[in-house]
Amino acid sequence: MLIDMHIHPIFYGPICQDEEELRFRGDTFGVWKQGPMDFDELFAEWDICGLTQAALLPLDRTTTAGGHVVTNEQVEQLCRLHPDKFIGFASVDPRRPDAAEVLERAFRDQGLRGLKLNPASQRFLPTEDCVEPLYELCERYNRPVIFHAGLSWEPGALAKYSHPLAFEEVLVEHPGLRVCLAHFAWPWVREMVMLLIKYPNVYTDTSLLYVDSPEEQMMELFTKDMGPMWFERCFPKQVMFGSNGPRFRAFKLKRALDKVPMRDYAREGLYYKNALRFLNGEEG
Amino acid sequence: MVVVKTIQHLSKQVEEYFNITRQVHQIVEESGVRNGFVAVITAHTTTGILVNEALPCVETDISDMLERTVPLEAPYAHAHFLPTYGATSNNSQGHLKSVLTGNHCLFPVLDGKIVCGGAQDIYLAEFDGPQLRKVYVEVMGE
Repeated sequence: MLIDMHIHPIFYGPICQDEEELRFRGDTFGVWKQGPMDFDELFAEWDICGLTQAALLPLDRTTTAGGHVVTNEQVEQLCRLHPDKFIGFASVDPRRPDAAEVLERAFRDQGLRGLKLNPASQRFLPTEDCVEPLYELCERYNRPVIFHAGLSWEPGALAKYSHPLAFEEVLVEHPGLRVCLAHFAWPWVREMVMLLIKYPNVYTDTSLLYVDSPEEQMMELFTKDMGPMWFERCFPKQVMFGSNGPRFRAFKLKRALDKVPMRDYAREGLYYKNALRFLNGEEG
Repeated sequence: MVVVKTIQHLSKQVEEYFNITRQVHQIVEESGVRNGFVAVITAHTTTGILVNEALPCVETDISDMLERTVPLEAPYAHAHFLPTYGATSNNSQGHLKSVLTGNHCLFPVLDGKIVCGGAQDIYLAEFDGPQLRKVYVEVMGE
């Protein structure tokens, strides 16, 4: 079993009918020279690495770009096509006047399982008042939140909003809220580790492949950026497998992680158990 | 006279040798070209077009030779974030295997048929699958 907790379904065939929308998505998200992909092609890639489920992340850029990279409705549509495979998340621009209403509809009526926010491209600090009602909704509906953290490739995204320390106050104020600071907050891995050690409600994922081959970067992350035993000793329940498709291909990341030495319980956590705990709020 | 057709194939493995011989012969025979030549050209930079004998042992030897020459793990330059893609390049092995195998093959066409040896099968070789791939078959002549 393998759960990919970080997929942007920008090029998933059923939601790629409109050329202009596709161009907006690419330019806003900062991804080019790729095109729509049918499920046959997608699942062929899943099959070679044993991927069984994936979290699909939309992005609401209403006030910063005038549209969505992918909408909640499109994620809902994809999840209805493959409810056994896709785990739909919602996104909302916290600066929208109707932000809480949109999010509550996503949780209550659209079956979406968590919230995705990108402070760097949506241009807000995680501690701003406008985000508070969204945290409260997540707590009330027992839904986790995934924040983009660290480097964001999206044009115009500012890293000052996604530095791991920008989230600490949220973790303190909302100890019951399950929070993923994605991408290991790269390049601030040590700061991310500090949060993982101190706050049991914080998670991260492996969706960082910015500078090397998958084999090189995963080995660097798990044995040099961190001490080689830190993950399994200190926070084995808080790191999830995430690929960041379409920026990185999941099967190559999995191939690289398979080569990183770690105990079986840590690997099981990394590949699926931690994702189940993050999603459901209980032992996976 | 020029006739161009496309063969599409969804590869299911990272590396795969897909035999397209029958499809290429059929395209030539249905093209209406009696005398000329046919070019088989891949549309990609991490695939190859091979002509060789369609035996599993030969495929294995070709694959092993390419893997020895271009191993998965090596300090390739093409392993970093590509700003023009917004994605990470990590398929140098596929590019280099593609260079070694070439992007096309060519056969004469006589009396409406491909002229070739009995062991000359045509492969689309996948080196960065799974992906949906395209091969152009262009028949030129009279």
